[in-house]
Order: sequence, then C-alpha cells, then structure tokens
Amino acid sequence: MDYLSSNKILIVNLESGEITEDELDDELVSHRIGGVGITSSLYETYKDKDPIVLGTGLLTGSLFPGSALGIISAKSAKTGEVAHSPLTLKAGMELKYTGFDYVVVLGKAVKPVFLWLHDGVADIQDASEIWGSDVWKASDHIRRSMGDDLIQTLVVGPAAESGSELAQVCINYWGSGDCWGFGKSFGEKNLKAIALRGMGLLEISEPEDFVDQCFELFEKIKKGSFMGKTGIQDIFSAMGENDATEWILPLVHRNSACYNTPYATNTFLYLSEDPKTLTEPDEPEPGFLVTDPCALLGFKRAGLSAKDAGSVMKACAKYGINPLAVAEFCVKSGEKDPENIEKSLKDLEGPVSVPDCGRFSYWAPGKPLFSNFDASDTSEYGAWWKRRQAVAYIFGIHPIFANMAPELSEELMLEMVNKGTGLELNQDILDKVIEDVCS
Amino acid sequence: MRIDVDALKCIGCMACEMACGYHRDDAFALLASCIVVYRAREKKDYFGVVIKEEESLTIARPEGLEIKRIGVAEEPGSTGQKKEADASAKPMLLREPCDLCDGMKYGPMCVKICPVNAISLVEGGE
Ligand code: SF4
Ligand code: SF4
Repeated sequence: MDYLSSNKILIVNLESGEITEDELDDELVSHRIGGVGITSSLYETYKDKDPIVLGTGLLTGSLFPGSALGIISAKSAKTGEVAHSPLTLKAGMELKYTGFDYVVVLGKAVKPVFLWLHDGVADIQDASEIWGSDVWKASDHIRRSMGDDLIQTLVVGPAAESGSELAQVCINYWGSGDCWGFGKSFGEKNLKAIALRGMGLLEISEPEDFVDQCFELFEKIKKGSFMGKTGIQDIFSAMGENDATEWILPLVHRNSACYNTPYATNTFLYLSEDPKTLTEPDEPEPGFLVTDPCALLGFKRAGLSAKDAGSVMKACAKYGINPLAVAEFCVKSGEKDPENIEKSLKDLEGPVSVPDCGRFSYWAPGKPLFSNFDASDTSEYGAWWKRRQAVAYIFGIHPIFANMAPELSEELMLEMVNKGTGLELNQDILDKVIEDVCS
Repeated sequence: MRIDVDALKCIGCMACEMACGYHRDDAFALLASCIVVYRAREKKDYFGVVIKEEESLTIARPEGLEIKRIGVAEEPGSTGQKKEADASAKPMLLREPCDLCDGMKYGPMCVKICPVNAISLVEGGE
C-alpha cells in the first residue's frame, strides 16, 4: 500500500524477542479495507498464539473529520471471544505515524517489558522498573526516560498484573474504551505498556481532491446539530441525562477533543483546584480527564457526588481498572465512600453486565447523539449502533463522534478512501466486511 | 495580516497542525507545521497553540496571548521556547514561519479547518 499507509505489518514475538515485518498487501486492503477488517483477519491468522492486534483505519491520522481511531483487537477476558476496543485521544493518530499500520503481539515475555514503537522502529524494552507501579507512574517513567512528553502510552496497572478480568488498557493517564479486559491480556504477556511516537508521513493518491472534500465536509459539519455543544456534559444532555449535566458542570475545567475530532468528547474535571483557573496550576495532578461518559454516569447512579465520582475515576485509572465495572459494583453494594471504593479495587471480581453490543466497546453510548440518523432501529446498542460502530472501526473514525455526525456517510467514507488510496473499494466489499466483523 | 488564536476556545484537536503540515508537505505529516498545539502538560489540562512567524512566536495560552520576538532569549532550547513548544518533534524555531498558506487556494488552512473557530486572521504584521 503506497497511500494513507506505512505499508507495514509488524509482528512481535515477546517470547523469542523476534521482530519481523510484513508488507501491507493491496490485495488484503481490497478485501478487508482496514481497521477492524484487517485486525480481525490478523487475529484469525495468529489465533493459536493468543495475539493482541493493534491497528488503524485508512482514514486515521488524515484530515477527514473524526479520524482519531486506532483499535485493539484481542480475545476478551470477559467473553472469551475476539472483541475490539477503541484507541482515542492522540493514541490512534500516533500509532498511525509510528510507521506501522498493524502490530501483532504474540507470546509471553520472560520478564516484564514494554514495546516502544517509533519512526518505523520497534524495540522490546525492559519494564522491570515500572512493573508494579500504577498507570500514572508508568506513563511518567516512559515519557521521562525517552525524553518526550508527547509519547502516547497504552499502559496497564496493578489490576492487570494481578490478573483481574476488569483490568483496562489505559491511554496515558486516562481511562479508555477497553471494557473487554484487554488489560489482563497485557498482564498475562508480561507487557506493561506499548509506547507510541511517530513522525511519519502519509502520501495521498489524489491529495487535492481529498483535501477539497475534507474542507467541504468540515463546512457541513460546522453547521451540524452538535455545533455549539461540547464535552461530556452535553453528551449527557443528548442522552437525556440533564441532571448529570448539572451535576458535573461546577467541576468542568476545559473540554478537549481527540485527534481531528470536531466535537470535544473529553472533559477535564478539576478536583483540587478552582475549575475557573486559567493559568498553569502549581498542583501537578489537579484533576482527571473523563473520557468515558457512561462510567461517570454510573457513579452518579451509584449516588456519588461529582467530585467523589471524579476522584474514584482517577483512582480507577491509576489502578488500571474499568471504571464502568467499578460503578456497577458500587450500585450493587450501595458503597458511596470514595476511600472505601478505592480500597476495594483490588478485591473486585465477578461478572459484570455486558450489553448485547456485538464485538464493539459499549463505552460509546448506545444511541445516536444530537441527531436521529433517519434509522429505523436505534434501540440501545441495536442494529444501527453495531453497523455504525463497525464502519467507524473499519475506517478509523472516532466511535462516539461517528454517532453524532450523519454527514459522515458510508458512501462518503468509501469515496474518500478511494481518493486517498487510488483503490476501487465499493459498497459490496464494505457490506461484506461489516457482516464479517459483526458476526 | 497574521493568525490569531483564542486558546480558551481551542479544544486541542490538532486539525490546524495537520492542515499546516499538509500545506508544507502535500501529504499528511506534522513535522513541518508552523502552528502547533502545545499539550505536554496533560495532567494539568494546560494546553494552547504556538505559531511560528517570521520574527516572532505567538503563544496562545488559556490566560491570554503572548507574542515573543525571536531573538537571543528565544534561541532553540532556551527556556521560553522550550516551555511552550515543548517536546514537539522538531523545535519551533527550526520550522518555516507562517506564510498565511501562500499559494494555497483555500486561504489560511488552519482558520478554515478549526471546528470551533478559535483561529482568525487579524490585521497587523510583525
Ligand atoms: S495560515 Fe497556513 S501557514 Fe500559517 S499557520 Fe495557518 S496553516 Fe500554517
Ligand atoms: S484546530 Fe482549532 S480547536 Fe483544533 S487545535 Fe487548532 S486551534 Fe485548537
């Protein structure tokens, strides 16, 4: 693949330390398009070696609106089936620019390691110094030791090391859409983290046409139904949870977006500083970036104050545990004290509910947001949601943003990918891939 | 004319940075952008935008705009430059200055692409 791609699939065997590269064949792209279409196909190829597969879509890292998404595909500790979780913030984009379109991690390292992917180079590095440390310390250590604060880290904490099925792969310091227990899979491989940084360049087959259309699309989107709305607080309103909007607003510092995503899906809560502070605070860790609206809502339902909910989410991210699952335990037990909840994290186990959401992360709210999409079945996590998520995970579009922007039609994404790559992908191929990844 | 950024409106999406990179390289890349989101103080939620101009660095911080003349105090690696353009892949001062997307049919691409209209073109040179 010459365009919108680095043309590389990386295979890392943690057991033997062997690292090899394959080309990303045009033929494979012509049949599986990309993103989850290809991660699931790589998963099948290496299935007997318990693979963790990372990947990006053809549009990831481009100027196409919402092009933030990277993907982890692996066997879920919760369901025993292959599932997919989203890499958002700047991690999907950074993965794309490391020089690898797909990364297959096989085997178990003999001692704790982290994988360092940068500028077309992959290194397995010793992680004994950070094994045992929480997610925040591990991320800090990796960034400090590499001398680059913009490295994006996919990192696990003590929950993963102790084999918890609720363990989450966090992104930098924050929770992620990993509701499948992929943290446990990292832990079982003695893989503390995957660190990403790339300064690559993506060629475009028809650059002018591609960029013209991106600008046209931005113009349309700027008139879209979510414009003027921002952050988790307005996502709550779109979900019909207006109380939650009021509940969280007093703590909101700023809202921020994942790479090239026109809606700010992340909201930073200041917990130990005045949220109105504009200057750089002295306090090194004044709050928490909420990336998971459903988890925050879960803690509200459990009866926590917004501040306590923020503190507990921060503790979950440090421990590397899925906050949505923790919220469910709080609802069941009636526990509202943040200190008690924090203390209990290490003992939480047992089944948590999983909606009928197919293989895609139910971190993305289960219905359209700010728009009705003219779809017949928009029942919670229903057929519309599954197809929409499949499309987002195939092309590399932010899964929450995909559910609020009907302007990003399947037809348009296909057209853009064809302009970007020079391939001739069509709706039949897309339908086949969707059917396969949804089955 | 010059580029102005309201950092309080900014949501840190990096679309401007990639648009500028495209202007420089005719491809998607970030290494040559002269508008860069500074985002290294992630745990503090402190972010804004830096623009390299011919003779100055415009630093759009949440608390307000600062324009620093490029001179002795702003040599690459000095505190001022290091602090705001921190950890970008290529030091800001080694990048081409903003040319308002000279030669591009779109006009200033960062202005056009910003989803929250945080960037504008204002009167006044350097
Ligand atoms: S006007 Fe053009 S050259 Fe100047 S910062 Fe914006 S995108 Fe870059
Ligand atoms: S495009 Fe606008 S919102 Fe996005 S980083 Fe640039 S200035 Fe901020």
